[in-house]
Amino acid sequence: MEPTDDAKLTELLKEWQISGAPPSLDERVLGPRRRWWSVLLTGTIRIPVPAVIVLAAILLIMAAALLHQRPASQAASTAINLAEFQPVKVLNVRVIRGSNDPR
Amino acid sequence: MTDPEFREAYCRHKDVLYRFAWRMTGSPASAEDAVHDCFLILLRNPSGYNAARGTLRSFLIGVTRNLALKQLRGQSRFDEFDDENEDNAAPSLPDLDGGSRAGMIARAVASLPPLQREVLILAEYEEMTLEEISRVAGAELAAVKSRLHRARENMRRMLAPLLDQKGIASGTNR
Repeated sequence: MEPTDDAKLTELLKEWQISGAPPSLDERVLGPRRRWWSVLLTGTIRIPVPAVIVLAAILLIMAAALLHQRPASQAASTAINLAEFQPVKVLNVRVIRGSNDPR
Repeated sequence: MTDPEFREAYCRHKDVLYRFAWRMTGSPASAEDAVHDCFLILLRNPSGYNAARGTLRSFLIGVTRNLALKQLRGQSRFDEFDDENEDNAAPSLPDLDGGSRAGMIARAVASLPPLQREVLILAEYEEMTLEEISRVAGAELAAVKSRLHRARENMRRMLAPLLDQKGIASGTNR
């Protein structure tokens, strides 16, 4: 008798249903939902420290390589190439006198 | 507790806590306050939850239960929560005339003494075991059994007209 009564009562009680938590509670607990442009302007991301160190090291190496490359290329464009330089074999000096020169 | 862990805990348990708090306090606004405060407590002091002592669900229901009872204490006399008084507490029959069946059940649940109400809600709506209820309510198993028995008796008495209708309806279905 008793279990049947309990089952009936349980069934009856289940007729009182309540909906889930309202969105206003989500906002109170988790904060207001942000718009996409707001995220772009003010959003932050969490990056692990090892990743930041690796990234910084890569950037430093790249910057150093660039700085090293630039003076070398600048020097190459202004330097005189003497590889094919040969002294004059026959020296024929011709003296041209000007009209004002004393004879 | 990391932010994603907190969010996951919130999404997983918010509805259970909200429904429980609403049924306990009888008010959606009070339920929202209780659940909000419960997650604030979890956020500020996550070490308050010890996995060895039970599930996170039980812990959060326990916190919400305390907050709901605190709200009820603020609204009524403190000695209504005394266990000895509750032993003899027989709620006055609420006016169940009119309104929907769900409304009548809600009024009957709300008229139960708080300690009977909480065990009834946890057993009937949240389908928790007596051991789980005992942990949540911080009461002896025997006390929980006794409260649940009295709560069911009171509900049967208050909802007798609806139970009779149900009996007739289920009798005709056979």
